[in-house]
Amino acid sequence: MPPFPFQEDHEMIREAVKGWLSDWEDGGKTLHRVAKEGQGFDRAAWEGFARDQGMAGISIPEQYGGADMGLLGRTVIMEETGYTLFSAPFFSTCVLAADMIEAFASEDDKTDLLGKIASGDIIISVLDGREKLSLKDSKLNGTLSPATDAAHADLILVAAKDENNDVVLTGYSPNTAGLSVTPYASLDPTRSQAKVSFENVALSDGQAIGKANDVAFSQILQIAHGSLAAECVGGGQRCLDMTLDYTNQRVQFGRQIGSFQSVKHKCADMFIALESARSASYFAASPDLDNDHSAKFEAALIAKNYASEAFFKIAGDAIQMHGGIGFTWEYPLHYFFKRARGNRALFTSSEDGFQMLADEIGLKSHASAISGE
Amino acid sequence: MSIREELNQWMLDNLTGEFEKIRWRGGPGDEDSSPELRRAWEQKFGEAGWIGLQWPKEYGGRDLSLMDFVEFNEEYARHGGPGRAGHIGETLMAPTILAYGTEAQKERFLPGIKNGSELWCQGYSEPNAGSDLSNIKTKARLEGNHWVIDGQKIWTSLAHESDWIFVIARAEEGTKGRDGLVFLLVELDQPGIDIRPIHQISGTAEFNEVYFTEAKAEASNIIGEVGEGWKIAMALLGFERGASTLGQQMMFQNELNLIIKTANENGRADDPSLRRRIAEAHAGLKVMRFNALRMLNGTQDGSTSKEGYISKIFWATWHRDLGELAMDVIGADAEIIEDELSPLQKLFLFSRADTIYAGTNQIQRNIIAERALGMPKEPRGNTNG
Ligand SMILES: Cc1cc2nc3c(=O)[nH]c(=O)nc-3n(C[C@H](O)[C@H](O)[C@H](O)COP(=O)(O)OP(=O)(O)OC[C@H]3O[C@@H](n4cnc5c(N)ncnc54)[C@H](O)[C@@H]3O)c2cc1C
Repeated sequence: MPPFPFQEDHEMIREAVKGWLSDWEDGGKTLHRVAKEGQGFDRAAWEGFARDQGMAGISIPEQYGGADMGLLGRTVIMEETGYTLFSAPFFSTCVLAADMIEAFASEDDKTDLLGKIASGDIIISVLDGREKLSLKDSKLNGTLSPATDAAHADLILVAAKDENNDVVLTGYSPNTAGLSVTPYASLDPTRSQAKVSFENVALSDGQAIGKANDVAFSQILQIAHGSLAAECVGGGQRCLDMTLDYTNQRVQFGRQIGSFQSVKHKCADMFIALESARSASYFAASPDLDNDHSAKFEAALIAKNYASEAFFKIAGDAIQMHGGIGFTWEYPLHYFFKRARGNRALFTSSEDGFQMLADEIGLKSHASAISGE
Repeated sequence: MSIREELNQWMLDNLTGEFEKIRWRGGPGDEDSSPELRRAWEQKFGEAGWIGLQWPKEYGGRDLSLMDFVEFNEEYARHGGPGRAGHIGETLMAPTILAYGTEAQKERFLPGIKNGSELWCQGYSEPNAGSDLSNIKTKARLEGNHWVIDGQKIWTSLAHESDWIFVIARAEEGTKGRDGLVFLLVELDQPGIDIRPIHQISGTAEFNEVYFTEAKAEASNIIGEVGEGWKIAMALLGFERGASTLGQQMMFQNELNLIIKTANENGRADDPSLRRRIAEAHAGLKVMRFNALRMLNGTQDGSTSKEGYISKIFWATWHRDLGELAMDVIGADAEIIEDELSPLQKLFLFSRADTIYAGTNQIQRNIIAERALGMPKEPRGNTNG
């Protein structure tokens, strides 16, 4: 029986993806290679995964060429890519960009872009420039960083606010006049980051994807971010697995260190954090919420923030339970620790996320009282 | 009509009049509130057929499915249904009797639970058998038609309100640990039993010492065989988890709502650090609910699924933290007692027990490490308490 709330077909996907990713990762060797090459991106592997394995379209609706397996489908994939830190733009392209396009693009653009996403023929990086970009006289100015997966994107999908406070979504080829993409090294070397500058970039030089109300945009964005919880669960599971293996074999004071109660209790705490993060993640993906947009938004906020906090704690504890080995570059644990820290800060930080949740549950802050007037 | 609608109607019609007073009252930590009234409520509830819904039809149950039972519990809690005086009987004793009892025991004991007339309490802990429960010293010997029991139980919740106690005792001289134990059903109202209330952190007394001096139980009031006491005792604890946890969560939600209301009224909703803690508490409660759904959907046979092991420590710790949060939201005013402890003051004090009873947080971590994670077992000392 598949674990609640998944179905049989999700589990089949999980098995397939798990094996494929574990071959890819090769016990940490590939992570070292990706880190050394300094791109945080493995193009050949991405093409294999997206095209040959057909995983890019997992949650794209059937009419656009996807497998239509919804939030649960992508949860399965992101859990497994988190377990192996698969260095590829699944989240950027197949989650963030796909959701934005599905929510805001015209039918023609959906057919075109979602179709390309599903077939693995496009990499899209989504940039939220609502705060930092200026949009005047139909020109974009400003710099956005960190821009995840922009360094190798075929299309940069940028959101900016116009004079009416509406969100304007535009897609740019990286070669557009005035637009420059500068890759840089990321603290998390298995993830690709860049700086993207806009200098008088004309709206008309890009592809107009759509317009959205600010609140509606935020909600779609947060719902997409919710899927990161699954990556945190996968990464956290890996840290716990490594820790259990290690504490089982390492002997000090004539005992396995895993027999010391403080080590056992630390592992128990990691398990509690992991399983509750898993609940948060599955809850946000659960089909029960499908018809209730605001419940979905709230569940995604909870999932992203709860799970990224848990992942960070688990990864930190895992390093501690490994002693000196955990501090080395050679042992791959640090990559997970770095991914965990990134997930806590990227997209929406945990602090901001919990403050948004506080608003959601009706805590009246002075700030929200003012903006509400 | 769904079970939810059915109960909804009944609650609207019956949780009225004198029973208004116990709406939202009498849950864990509030068991001293109107015990007489809650006893009357239990009987009313039982007579309406609401007790034992999950039991097989032949014993007067409705064979209710798990998800229906979940709905039932949520609906009850949604109405602020009073803490059930009979909950130990219904949730612990009855499933144990159904699983391990004889036909005669089922006939004797299930109806009293079902109609709310016989209340039960749990006689496990002793002065030297707390976390190390198998260190039981209370003795039982069979004399003619009776078991004769000598010894002492402690921390026995609601013994002073109950009619019956289930007791683990040592029946075989010279045995140690889990061997030689019996699981007995003992009537409390008899000369051999002395119940002495213990005042607790709140100043009230919900738990007790129970002394047995040649106390008697009919020979037939043993569940399982001599030597199977441990097995039965553990099986009973297994029934502790279950659909009722979702009802409990409705109560938690109610407490959290009260905290949010307080913060909005006194302006502390503006403090970013309190806002974050309240938001985290809300997130924790949603997580708890999905933990429970995963657990309830995980195994159909009553065994613990891997994730099921986190349930107790998660809710206990969450609830204890909620108590601290409540006090911080009230601020200095929380020091003042008007008439009696307020609901949030009670929450603060009583939630300290959540991480102690039903397996302390430390014991929960041992269990998780050993059973869910397969880590090495705790070494045992040989100093006997
Ligand atoms: C409000 C309340 C109601 C209760 N109601 C009942 C009831 O109705 N019936 C009943 O039978 N019992 C009841 N109990 C008793 C409860 O089950 C025990 O208090 C509990 O099992 C702990 O035992 P103890 O108090 O002897 O503490 P101890 O076992 O002495 O524990 C003391 C401390 O040592 C720690 N410790 C002990 N062993 C270990 C270990 N192996 N590893 C790490 N740390 C350890 C514990 O975690 C704890 O922090 C109730 C308790 C409370 C607080």
